This record gives sequence, C-alpha cells and structure tokens, in this order.
Amino acid sequence: MSLLLKNISLPLAHFTLEVNIEMQRRVTAVFGPSGAGKTSLLDLIAGLRRAQSAFIQLEDRVLTDTTKSISVATHQRGIGYVPQDLALFPHLSVRQNLLYGSKSGRAGNLLFSFEHVVEVLEIEPLISRGVTQLSGGEKQRVALARALLASPRLLLLDEPLASLDTALKAKIIPYLTRVRDEFRIPMLCVTHDRFEALALADEIVVLVNGQVLQAGPVLDVFNRPASADVAKITGVETLQPGIIADVNEGLATVKIHDMTLTALAPATGTREVFVCIRGEDVILQREAAVASSVRNRLSARIVALRTEGALVRVELDAGFPLFALVTRPACTELALREGEQITALIKAPAIHLVPR
Amino acid sequence: MTADEWQVVWFTAWVSALSTLLILPFGLALAWALARRDWPGKSLVETFVTLPLVMPPVATGLILLEVFKKPGVIGGVLHRLNCDVVFTWRAVLLALSVMSMPLLVRSARVAFEEVNPRLEQIARTLGAGSWRVFFTITVPLASRGIIGGMLLAFARALGEFGATIMVAGNIQGKTQTISLAIFENVQIGDDSHAYRLLGVSVVLAFLAVWGSEFFLRRKKTT
Amino acid sequence: MKSNRLTLFAMAFSLAIFTLPLRAAEVMVSAAASLTDSLKAIAANYEKSSGDTITFNFGASSTLARQIEAGAPADIFFSADEAQMNALATNGLIDPATRKGVLGNSLVVVVPGDSKLQITSASDLTNASVKQIAFADPKTVPAGVYAKAWLTKLQLWPLIEPKVVPTENVRAALAAVASGNVDAGVVYKTDAAISKKVKIAYEVPHADGPDITYPAALVKNSPQPEAAKKFLDYLPSKEAGQVFTQYGFLLRE
Repeated sequence: MSLLLKNISLPLAHFTLEVNIEMQRRVTAVFGPSGAGKTSLLDLIAGLRRAQSAFIQLEDRVLTDTTKSISVATHQRGIGYVPQDLALFPHLSVRQNLLYGSKSGRAGNLLFSFEHVVEVLEIEPLISRGVTQLSGGEKQRVALARALLASPRLLLLDEPLASLDTALKAKIIPYLTRVRDEFRIPMLCVTHDRFEALALADEIVVLVNGQVLQAGPVLDVFNRPASADVAKITGVETLQPGIIADVNEGLATVKIHDMTLTALAPATGTREVFVCIRGEDVILQREAAVASSVRNRLSARIVALRTEGALVRVELDAGFPLFALVTRPACTELALREGEQITALIKAPAIHLVPR
Repeated sequence: MTADEWQVVWFTAWVSALSTLLILPFGLALAWALARRDWPGKSLVETFVTLPLVMPPVATGLILLEVFKKPGVIGGVLHRLNCDVVFTWRAVLLALSVMSMPLLVRSARVAFEEVNPRLEQIARTLGAGSWRVFFTITVPLASRGIIGGMLLAFARALGEFGATIMVAGNIQGKTQTISLAIFENVQIGDDSHAYRLLGVSVVLAFLAVWGSEFFLRRKKTT
Repeated sequence: MKSNRLTLFAMAFSLAIFTLPLRAAEVMVSAAASLTDSLKAIAANYEKSSGDTITFNFGASSTLARQIEAGAPADIFFSADEAQMNALATNGLIDPATRKGVLGNSLVVVVPGDSKLQITSASDLTNASVKQIAFADPKTVPAGVYAKAWLTKLQLWPLIEPKVVPTENVRAALAAVASGNVDAGVVYKTDAAISKKVKIAYEVPHADGPDITYPAALVKNSPQPEAAKKFLDYLPSKEAGQVFTQYGFLLRE
C-alpha cells in the first residue's frame, strides 16, 4: 500500500497532532500510549474528521488536501474501519450487518465473496443471530467481516485486541493474520500493545503526544529505538543512564555507575547515553565461569520476582537495576529466589545505546 | 351520539392525523439538525420551535391569521390558486400543525441525540451516503422516540382550540373540531351534546398519551 | 425600627385599598357587543355626575346570558334581543318589574373597504362571487338570529347557509369583514359606522327585516341594587338618548 500523510495538523485537547509520513508496507501499526492521538489520526484518514491542515493520499488518489479544499466524502473513500467499540448495528441481524457495506452499490465487483469472508473468519454459525447476543470475540470477527465485505482499499483497525482478555487475544490474532494473508488488503492498526504490533505489523509508527517519534520496520524500531521515549514505549525493560568511557573498533565501553558493559558503538560520537536492554535479552545462569561468546557477565542479586502469564519478570540489582524475562519453568528449574546471587548474561549487540 | 357528533369526531381525528403526517418530514429534519449540528443562531431556532408550546394559543392563531389573511401577500397568492386558508379546513390543518410541531421536534431530537454517532460514522465508511445512513441507521434506532413524539403531537392536535378558532373559525361541518364543538354547545346551552363530546375527547386523548408514554419510556438498561 | 414602620404603612395602605369600594358604588353591566362604544361614552358622562363607577362586560348576548345563569356577578343585563332576556326571565334571574325595551337597530350588509362587490338586493348574496359571509352565530347570537330571520322570511336562507362563517359576536363578524378574510358580513347599522375598513353595501329595508329590540333589566341578587337601578333609569333619559342616536341607534319608549 502507499498511504501518504503530509502536513497533518490537528489541534486536540492537550496537544496538536502533527504527522508527516509515508506508509509503504502492507501492515502498519500506529503505536503509542493511550491519548496519543491515534484514534484521531484514523478518523482523519477515514474522512470522519477535518484537520486544520492535511494532505492524505492513498495509492494514486488524493483524499484530502486542505490547500485545495479537496475532501473526498467518507462514503466514497473506500476505507474500511473497525473501531474500538466495534459499532455493530444493534437493530440489524448479523447477516444484515455483514451485507450493509456490499449494498452500497460501489462501482466494481465485490473484492471478496460473502462465503469466503465468512469462512475465513469462521462466523457461519452466527449469521442469523442478533448482534447483542454475541460474545466479545464473535463481535470482533463480525465487525472485521463487515468491513471486509465493503471491499475496502485500506482497512483501519482501532485497538483490535484491546478489549479482549489474554486468552481471547491469542485467539483473534490468527484471524487478523489470516485477513492479512488471505485478503491481502493493506491494514493500518492502532495499538498500545507491543505484542500486537509485533505479531501483525511489517512497519510501525510510534506516536506520542501527537508527534511521530519514529517510523520504520517493526524490528528496527524495537531493537533500535531512536530515543529514550521510544524505548520506553516499545517496552525496553532496562533503561539506565550511562557514559561511554571508550570506543574501540566499533565497540563501546559503557559505564553505568561503577559497572562496565560492552556494546556496539552508536553512530554519533556522544558520550552520554541511555543504555537500553530488553528483558528478553538477559540470560540468567547459575555458574559464572563458563566459556561463551557473551561479553557481559554481571553478578547480580535477585531483588524481586513477578509472574506475568507464562513468563517471570526478574528484577535484579547488578550495580544498577536490571530486568530479565525468563520462562516460568526456567525459573523453577533454576530455583530462583529473592535475595540470591545469580549471573546475568547480556550479549553486546543486544545492548542499545541511545544518545541523551 | 348523533350523526353530527360523529362527523365532528371523524373530522377531528383525520385532520389531526393528517397534520401529524404533514409535520413529520420538516419536524424530523429540524430535530436532526438540532441534535447533530451546531451553528450561530442555533439557540434562536430552538426558541422559535418551542414558542408555540408556551405562547397563548390564541396569540399563535392571531399570527397565523395575519400571515395567511386573504388581503395579505401569502393569502393573495393562495386565493389566486383557489386555495384559501382562512376559515376553511386548511386553516384547521395549519393551526394543528403549528401547535403540535414543537412536541414532535423535542421528542425526536432527544431520540436522535441518543443514537450513538459512531454508528452513523461507521455506516458511512461502509459506503452509505447521508440519506441512506439517516433512513437505515439513525431513524430506526430513534424510532421509539419518534413514534412517541408523533403520538404526543397527535394528542395535542386533537385538543387544539385557541389557534384553531382564531384562524379557522367555528363553522359547523367545515372547521368544527371536538373542542370547538364543545365550546359552542356550552355557549348555546346544549350541555348533553357537550358532555358526550367531552367523553370522546377524554378517551381519544387518553389513548394517544398512553401510547406515547409507552414509546417514550426509557428502556431500562440491563 | 425600620421594619415596624414599613409594616404599619403596608397595613394602612391595604386598609385604604380594601375600603375604597365601600365609598363609591361599582355597577357591573353585561351588555351586547354592539353597544360597546355607545355605552362607554354614556358611562363616562354618568360617572362624572353620579360618582359611581360603571364596569362593563361586553359580549354576545347569548354568552352573557349563559354567564348570568352560571352565577356570574352582574347588576344589569342589556341584551340585543328579547329571546335572551326571556331565557333569564323564565329562570327568575331578572327583576321583571325593571325590564324595559330601550333601543332599536337595523341590519346592513357590509363588505371590505376595497371590495368591488355590488349588493343591490338580498338575493345578490346567493351569487357565486360571494363565497363566504360572516354572521354572528345564527344559532344564538341576536345579530345572527335577526339576520337568519330576515333571510328565512325571503326564503333565501337554505342557499346562503353553506356560505356562513359564524362568529362569536357581531363585532367579530365586523372584524372578519374588515380583515378581508370574508367577502361580506351581516351586522347592525350601528356597527358598520364604527369601522373605517368596511363599507355598507346594502341596507335591509324595515319591511324585510325582523323587529329588533334591545331590552335592559336589573339582575336579581344584584350586589348593588340601588346604584344599579339609578343607572338603569338613566339609560332612557334624554342625555343618554342623544348619545345612542349619535351612534345610529333607534330609541324606543
């Protein structure tokens, strides 16, 4: 897909939404904390809101251009929208909801047949039911199907998994990926859940307080956050201020308090940095002196253990606060206990330095 | 009840029904605009819509008389089209419409305000133009309030007196409604006539208001 | 201190207001609508010399009679026809000894001031060019009853009845013609003189028209019988008669 958003300026309650990006990949996630202006951005793209200034172009079609007073009406944009509250029509049956968009008489054939969509999203048994009798997950799939059956050129999803519990989230993600793969429609997903973003998106746009802090392929943004703010949003567990003591052959020696770490040297020649380490990248080991490629071996004391589903979040004191994410079985096998000493291993390339 | 009395009841019923249908398109449009849009001078419009509800009905009737009088601009045009209003059944229709419109607009406005705008927005993303959204989403979801408002307007029209007698006169067989007939019968001392019509009036009003309350009652949220 | 003085003043004030009526008598007269202007003028003269106050309730004689039957406070009833006075007399609501016929009147057909209609006889009213004619309600209001009697005598009533726009009282019929909303109206000659917006198209000859008499009487249980009788006796006086004639009424003895 090619979605171009230029010169967007939309004053909101506490800040102004300002966006200037081009989204090229098939699935883009707009990622950021609640209230960052993400829903407003979707509304703008769908034509449900007007901005002070905006230029929106989808493929080769200009949808909004405030400088030329061009604004294509919502119902002619061909953009599907699955809002956070799903907005299923309560007075219509599931079937009537699904067929609502395909009756619009838009020129051209329907992109997908009724049967195909129903099959992919597995909503066959729900068709003749009333909308209010559906469960949360069922409503989600119906809303998705409804948007698809309107033959959209772009699909907007606002927090598709937000209102679901963990178990349901796990069940819905496959449907979304199926939609992505089977129907090959460009999708723009708003989310504040990094796992959602990781699971679905090719490209991610980080939006905080109405500003785009970073945009790019998902793994790039996650592994190489451009700023501390981005790092915090993308959920890098350990974020500590550090000073680069020495740079040698592309490797930097960073000091956090008295502790020394080896990391890849950042492009700029700054000395003061934020040290970012993802919890997943910290390995815990009982024995200290084992030959391995890991450059950073820290002796740390376990401060706290917190179970998060299938994982355990381990807070360590390695001379600075360090967080590790390990599986519960691993935690049990190693018999991790608060107050104990343990060795923490971090690969140099996994330590990311962000200039302060 | 005599044949004359039944004629009065029948006339009142069909003119009231017709006036309710007549005010429906304009009333719904106005209610929708008040519910969904904002514009400078909106409060002025709201006030004018409510005026017939609180002004003395004879005063409203007097205004209608002035506007539609035969020597007037509008009256003149209508006279040439052979469509006189004053002292004809059309004046009754006019008076009933003006007096009952505020009730319809107020009920319908509340009903429209209770429709989640998100639903309308999503319908548009599904390719529905404004009219389709209005008739397939907004109106069905507001239907209870609209019907309740229509019944209320109908009830009001049934009982209209002040404006009617001003602009339509009390012409038996032509413009006499139940309330006008009761008035005349009391004046000439024909009380039994008056009481019979009073009875019919109460029954009709009761049914209309009861029905209206049924539709306007807020649904208990489970 | 201040509030005490204020209370004292308020009490004295209310006392004064409430005792006012006891000093000068107030006579309430229920009179036919067609007498509005003439009676007001007569009362103005009377009040100067007598010191009493005359309050009027003008309306259709039929309506006024009903009000008196329902117990409305009135000292004198001045009706536009004998029928309404008879109705009250039958129910013993007036003092028959005080009843007297005071005035006469005649009927005219009026048209709006700018109308081009020509009415040279009663049958002209049956023409197609005359679509709506205002009458005081012919069922009960004297002016309408008289008009209906006139047209019935000429056997024209069935043709004219469908065109009738009945009004509350004769002045309302006059107003309807004045506003231009009807093509013509039948009112008293005395009414036609009042409005500048109408013109007389036809005067009903005495031979065709019914006998019009305006009787007046004291209402029984009047709260002010002496003062009321005084005014009632003033009505046939020379002074009052001059005013009535000025307005076009005929005097009866």
